[in-house]
Amino acid sequence: MANTNIEGAPIRRRQDSALRVRLRRGGELLGLILSNPTTVFGLILIFGMLGMALFAPWLTQANTPDPYQMPRDWGALRMPPGTPGHPLGTTNTGGDVLYGVIWGSRTSLQLSIVVVGVTVVIGTAIGSIAGMVGGKVDEILMRIVDVFLSIPELIFALAIAAILGPSFTNIILSLCLVFWVKYARIMRAQIILVKQNDYVDAARVIGDSRLNIYFRDILPNAATPLVVQATLDMGAIVLIGATLSFIGLSESGIAEWGVLVSEGQAGIASGRWWASTFPGLMIFLWALAFNLLGDGLRDALDPRTESRR
Amino acid sequence: MTDMSRLPTPEQASEAASGSVLSLRGISKHFPIRAGALQRVVGHVRAVDGVSFDIRPGETLGLVGESGCGKTTLGRLASGLLSPTSGGSYFNLDTAALSKLNAAYALPEDARAAALAPLEAAHGIATMPKAAQSRFRRNCQMVFQDSFSSLNPRHLVIDIVGRPLRVHKEASGEALTERVVELLEQVGLGRQHLYRYPHQFSGGQRQRISIARALALDPELIILDEPTSALDVSVQAQILNLLNDLQAERNLAYLFVTHDLSVVEHMADRIVTMYLGRVVEAGPTRTLFDAAAHPYTRALIAAKPDLAVDDPQVAKFAALDGSIPDPARPPRGCHFHTRCPVATPNCGWELDDIVRLLERSEDLFESLSDVSRHSDFAGELAFEDEGSAERLAQALRSDATPASMRSAMESLTVDGRTLRVRFQEVGEVQLSDRGPDHIAACVIKDA
Repeated sequence: MANTNIEGAPIRRRQDSALRVRLRRGGELLGLILSNPTTVFGLILIFGMLGMALFAPWLTQANTPDPYQMPRDWGALRMPPGTPGHPLGTTNTGGDVLYGVIWGSRTSLQLSIVVVGVTVVIGTAIGSIAGMVGGKVDEILMRIVDVFLSIPELIFALAIAAILGPSFTNIILSLCLVFWVKYARIMRAQIILVKQNDYVDAARVIGDSRLNIYFRDILPNAATPLVVQATLDMGAIVLIGATLSFIGLSESGIAEWGVLVSEGQAGIASGRWWASTFPGLMIFLWALAFNLLGDGLRDALDPRTESRR
Repeated sequence: MTDMSRLPTPEQASEAASGSVLSLRGISKHFPIRAGALQRVVGHVRAVDGVSFDIRPGETLGLVGESGCGKTTLGRLASGLLSPTSGGSYFNLDTAALSKLNAAYALPEDARAAALAPLEAAHGIATMPKAAQSRFRRNCQMVFQDSFSSLNPRHLVIDIVGRPLRVHKEASGEALTERVVELLEQVGLGRQHLYRYPHQFSGGQRQRISIARALALDPELIILDEPTSALDVSVQAQILNLLNDLQAERNLAYLFVTHDLSVVEHMADRIVTMYLGRVVEAGPTRTLFDAAAHPYTRALIAAKPDLAVDDPQVAKFAALDGSIPDPARPPRGCHFHTRCPVATPNCGWELDDIVRLLERSEDLFESLSDVSRHSDFAGELAFEDEGSAERLAQALRSDATPASMRSAMESLTVDGRTLRVRFQEVGEVQLSDRGPDHIAACVIKDA
């Protein structure tokens, strides 16, 4: 025991308090996450891109009235990188590639936060109801989930987005309709697993309410895989969103990486590589960063590593 | 499955002078077995089947049996974690209420409901009003076997032990902390452990935390589900002594569920032995250890490692062979007759026993093509070749078959490839009186 002296008598530690212990534990967890260099690299990338999104209005001259529309410089079409005023060159239609890259990070952030946020909430709710209630309710909900799962995510989202008509908002909407399914599955499986722990029965014997047991015992112990999956999906969703934009399901002219890649691809054959490459690189870095962080979280939050602490 | 004869007789009831903390009457839990694409119910596992007993204030009742005999399920039924398929549990009966309960169960089934109604309303765990249910929740606590899984890994000790007090709004803030410290000190822990996570403790310490949590609401009954089976022997002794001390201080009643006879001998005032979901014997600990009436109880006691196995009487029971039969299809007559070392012809030998014998001899079992039953006790076994039926008949007449089983066969004929057999029909073996406060379900009356 760390807190006993040589005679085995306890040393009083008056400063101990629940908050302090929880903070210390949080610190330990953070330390564990940060002890993995690839996770740190992922975090640096994420912070870099978040910074880019946050400071976009200061890094570039915001387009008016809508800063998410690419500004057009009709006097500087298809200029290569290094052109004064356009450090990363311009597109076929005179759009500044740098502007697109910077404001595109905002669009991507919007896309991934909205989609992950909405789908995690829906998925958690549906998975929790299925796992907690069980029986017929579980059966019905899971068959619905199976129907969704039987169609590949990308194709399903594509179909919905095509029906709704080409716009960036509709891409967000279609991804929300598709992505909750995975979380519902994970959540249900986790809840059924966690429910078997004796501490859940112990709480019932005490007489605590079902809602309390769910929020205090079951959800916190079931959430870890969902957090990891959500982190990984922050990257995957931008990738899929860009794909949908690339094939023309977004408005043309908006500062979005997939749209930019799409608009620039015609010029690649004629040697104008820059209009597609820089936004493409951003998509790659974004997906990579969240995958690294997700993997790091999975390792750090794994219960097997947890018990070693 | 509420069966009159498994209930205590009026004489036994009168001995329970001080009432009962918890009374189970004919309580059953059947789990459905589902099969096929449509998940239809094809049978039931009778985990607990018509069990009745009382837990008296301040006593330790040991519930023993092999793994799979339904004792853990019974513990969960008693604590209210599971709801029974049939039967009732009644909480906090005084002497008068207990004798009313016994009188009601002595009535024939159709007249029973009316007599039970007032008792159900006041004491029935499923039927009593909300306030009484909350009182039951506070008064009946539980300690689980696996101390790893019974403490939420994300909660601090103060939250775990203080939670019952919070839920029932007994204390908060500074007062709560002080109450938790008091509870921790009672189980041999202290203030320095308040702000720690369960994983920072050893198995024995975690079980102490579990006990502190169970004590928080000052219950009258704690159900201990194998509380020491996962612990080292030395730690086991500490926890058992702690439980004994706490019982003496607080007049606690324990339902001690275990498979460990040495623990139960040390702890229990009375013992209930379960086999395949039923009570086969119940009585005071001393009586059971000195003169158990049921061969199964004797086998369990003989299997205790510290007894001298040179004693031939003990050795006979020491090694129970075979495994527990399928609880979805329990044997006829006495459930235990398939493994009983002293079985008689009247113990319920049946067609399934021949099938069990066949399972041990591979070639005969493989040539078996069909079993047609006239009843559980009579039927025909058809084989693919001529020799098998005759060979089986010879085996059944020889020493390879228990003598009691041979004498239970009323007829045994071979007709070409079929073997016809009929056993004498035997009813269920009922619990009967064997002495003061001592009941057993065995056909041998003067064991």
